[in-house]
Amino acid sequence: MSQLQARFFTENKRYVVDDVPFSIPAASEVLELSNVINKLLEAKNASHSKVEFDFLVRGQFLRTSLATHMETEGISTEDVVEIEYVERITAPEAEECMMHDDWISAVDADAEWILTGSYDKTARIWSVEGKAVITVAGHTEVVKDVAWVKRDGLTSLLLTASLDQTLLLWEWNSEQNKVKARHCCRGHTASVDAVATDPTGSRFCSGSWDKMLKIWSAVPTDEADEVGEPADRPRKKQKTQQLGLTRTPLMTLSGHNEAVSSVLWTDSEEVCSASWDHTIRIWDIETGGMKTTLTGSKVFNCISYSPLCRRLASGSTDRHIRLWDPRTKGTAHSITGDFRRLSQPSFPCVTNVSSPPPRPTDGSLVQLSLTSHTGWVTAVKWAPSHEYQLVSGSLDNLVKLWDTRSCKAPLYDLAAHEDKVFCVDWTESGLMLSGGADNKLYTYRCSAGPTDAGA
Amino acid sequence: IIVYMSNYYRNSFFVHYLEFCWDFVCDILVVLQDIRNTVGNIPMEWYKDFPHIGYNLDGKKIYKPIRNKDELDEFLDKMEDPNYWRTVHDKQTGSDIVLSDEQVELVKRLQRGQFGDVNFNEYQPQVEFFSEDLMIHPVTNRPADKRSFIPSLIEKEKVSKLVHAIKMGWIKPRRTEDASRGSYYDLWANEDSSILANHKMHLPAPKIPLPGHQESYNPPPEYLFTDEERALWEQQDVSDRKLPFVPRKFSSLRQVPSFPRFLHERFERCLDLYLCPRQRKMRVNVNPDDLIPKLPKPKDLQPFPTTQSLVYRGHSGLVRSISVSPSGQWLASGSDDGSVRFWEVCSSRCMRTVQVGGAVKSIAWNPNPLVSLLAVAQDSVVLILSPSLADRQVLLSTEQLLSDQWEAESAEEDGPVKWINLEGEELSQGIRIKIQHPKAVHQVTWHAKGDYLASVMPDHSSHLQVFIHQVSRRRSQNPFRKSKGLVQCVSFHPVRPYFFVGTQRSVRIYNLVKQEMTKKLQANSKWISSMAVHPGGDHVICGSYDCRLSWFDLDLSTKPYKMLRHHKKAVRGVAYHRLYPLFASASDDGSVIVCHGTVYSDLLQNPLIVPVKVLRGHVITHDLGVLDVTFHPTQPWIFSSGADGTIRLFT
Repeated sequence: MSQLQARFFTENKRYVVDDVPFSIPAASEVLELSNVINKLLEAKNASHSKVEFDFLVRGQFLRTSLATHMETEGISTEDVVEIEYVERITAPEAEECMMHDDWISAVDADAEWILTGSYDKTARIWSVEGKAVITVAGHTEVVKDVAWVKRDGLTSLLLTASLDQTLLLWEWNSEQNKVKARHCCRGHTASVDAVATDPTGSRFCSGSWDKMLKIWSAVPTDEADEVGEPADRPRKKQKTQQLGLTRTPLMTLSGHNEAVSSVLWTDSEEVCSASWDHTIRIWDIETGGMKTTLTGSKVFNCISYSPLCRRLASGSTDRHIRLWDPRTKGTAHSITGDFRRLSQPSFPCVTNVSSPPPRPTDGSLVQLSLTSHTGWVTAVKWAPSHEYQLVSGSLDNLVKLWDTRSCKAPLYDLAAHEDKVFCVDWTESGLMLSGGADNKLYTYRCSAGPTDAGA
Repeated sequence: IIVYMSNYYRNSFFVHYLEFCWDFVCDILVVLQDIRNTVGNIPMEWYKDFPHIGYNLDGKKIYKPIRNKDELDEFLDKMEDPNYWRTVHDKQTGSDIVLSDEQVELVKRLQRGQFGDVNFNEYQPQVEFFSEDLMIHPVTNRPADKRSFIPSLIEKEKVSKLVHAIKMGWIKPRRTEDASRGSYYDLWANEDSSILANHKMHLPAPKIPLPGHQESYNPPPEYLFTDEERALWEQQDVSDRKLPFVPRKFSSLRQVPSFPRFLHERFERCLDLYLCPRQRKMRVNVNPDDLIPKLPKPKDLQPFPTTQSLVYRGHSGLVRSISVSPSGQWLASGSDDGSVRFWEVCSSRCMRTVQVGGAVKSIAWNPNPLVSLLAVAQDSVVLILSPSLADRQVLLSTEQLLSDQWEAESAEEDGPVKWINLEGEELSQGIRIKIQHPKAVHQVTWHAKGDYLASVMPDHSSHLQVFIHQVSRRRSQNPFRKSKGLVQCVSFHPVRPYFFVGTQRSVRIYNLVKQEMTKKLQANSKWISSMAVHPGGDHVICGSYDCRLSWFDLDLSTKPYKMLRHHKKAVRGVAYHRLYPLFASASDDGSVIVCHGTVYSDLLQNPLIVPVKVLRGHVITHDLGVLDVTFHPTQPWIFSSGADGTIRLFT
């Protein structure tokens, strides 16, 4: 078998070629195929400049020769092969390196500003260009998580969660460059490890080591909430520690048996939380009840949800990143076809669950395991504008960029950090960030993100 | 004389001396006669026909003296001349010389084998030039020969000739005598092999039992028959008798009579061989592998820690002891560098460092989740630390617990143990109470409720080896009146009021309510190093310095139910997991071995013990490997601390 019948197609209108089968050598690899497409495009359009392409055979990136790939995937070579091609994602370029005084525990960035939480008990705001804007100090302990809440013109609301069992809601005026603690959210009885703001910016959810999730109002008011004070608490102590007005939770969600490590909002009425008790739970905020439990076999460190592909990615204390469909019931074993796209007759993940290395025991719920890290995966983040891409950080000092269509190996390893990576983020504008125990926050620019977003 | 003497002494020194003596004799003769013949040492008969006998120093002829003595004259001289015996005839001059007294004396001395000179001392002390003593100067000043350090060409040539000859086969090695052949004769050489081996149904002849003490001519008295036994023996039928003879005692072997049953016995033996029915006994063919109990594969026994995930670096000395907080969020470690560090488990971040001013031997976190206290053993002091890491509510209740007995304390009488409240600098570090012990404390451990604290001070001589402290009332008591060996480690039963005391060879279990010992477990090891009690309380594991880990099932026996000898060096620490069926042992060989140990509630089923994983990572420093090991309270994770100053988390 030396020749194959292949039909090329793409969704990017700029690079469409004729929809006719071609006979191509079976041993050809990505580079040869890319040259073929470039030749075809040049023949069609003289002004075409050479573009690097990547190829997908039934939703899987081609990484070896075409014949080998089809053999391993079990695709018949008798029929005409449908090969999709997309513009190759170029390697992310490291842009800035922001030095902190201590380990970086959390990062949250939007188009203009980067917010980081650090082990030196402060949070910092940076501009995207890497300029330190302001240090937000107020916690008496390590800041474990940070989040932007809302931005109205020049004033922004931001949240910091700390080991001192409180969350602080800050108001920051970017023009005067002043920060003011508006509310001190009390209620957790252990370190608050995770915080997430809902899509509307009116509420936020926090997860703590005390196994609780609490929903709070994110709207700043000028009145302190009534707190049922324990009679024996010394008044003086409380006064000195007070920073901002006290706020009490709207709702407490209990159900986890272990510390909550990560929370997020999947939509405005649904919260998803990952915990050390090996479960991911999805909660309904309207009723305050638990909707679904996804049970894994290892401690979950982090989760991320992509509304584009409606899948959850989780990082565990083993080295795998697992992708889940949050809408599968805990007992369901079949994968619903909601996310299947018409252009892809068979979704790649179905076949890839059975790929040898990452098969976990809870295979029916896990759609896909991404394995390449050698340490705990401490942070994952879906690309906000790309359906298939996610970035992950691990204790093995590496940040990896993944494409779920190429699940056996990551697209790129970003080996900038010299110590453990604790947090990663990916902004709408295509900026990737990672921070860790080497006190450095790196930003990377991923160029192909927006161009492929339409696909 | 000279030749004789030289032969006799074989010593050139004496020969020279004798020559000197002879010259001396000659000189005397010459001086006396003043005639010197110059002809030399020639036969004198050459001058027989001449009138002279030679020439003197001036060249003049020496004439023969007129000798007209005949035999008769000679005889007359002999008879009459009193000097005849001392008269000698000088052939060279032909004259007769009468020796003086001195000369006669000299001749006599020489004849006796003595030295001519009377004054000569032949036993002078010898000068030893070459002796065994090491001299600072060389005996000779001669430089070493060149040949002494250059390989000899001649020898090389000879060797190469020999080598060539051996290569060419001209020289053959001497044929060695086959020593085995001929010297011994194998009596049974042709008995087994060809004939009998081919004979598949061959059965060897039944063996005669070997003689025992009964057959002895001088058996021990217990083998001799008493009167009743003898009567019984005589009554019994011949075929029923246990022994076919009566054991007898003789004072010496000489008095043993001939064996009366000899022929009879031989005949019976022949009958046995000839007549006994022989049946082939079918041996069961068992594959030895089938006898090994079927153990489940480690893969099916997950979860258990498999890989190293985090390394907690910071200590500069070896980390002797670690403890995880009951919530599983914090890890405390005590090191030889005199510090106690508190780490965040999930990020390996050192959150606090408390200097306690000395090597920390043992550290234990209070298991009560409602208080946050840490007991630290440092030299002869047990410190109670309150790390301000916990929840405010917990800190408050801790505060309450510690301040409760503030009033009650005054009633405390002076015992061997002193409770001291700390203030100032140490209080600001979180050290709350100091419990001063009489001796160095090696281990501290908490009761599961978190109010009682036991401390161990190993000492052979004293009965003050174990103290049980009650934190809420600030009381200490010594539960034992007597020392029952060197106490190594102690532990509380997780639910019942039992107290485990591990001594050097055994583990004693005391009932604290009844105040008595209920059980004593014999660890078949030389020196117990560590002990852990199963969370159910019915099982105990002990690690020992002779590389063993013994599992005791308290319901089963006081002997170990299982001994595990997987470590190559001394076991330093053992631990059970609180929730998962896991236990682990840490050793000086730098490894931690995690074993699966399921305990069934069904009493009939024995615990299932399967070693599942060897965890390596610690660097062996000063021959010490892993010093302590502890499990995470909720996750199947294990922490190990080593002599290399690191703590490692395996997940």
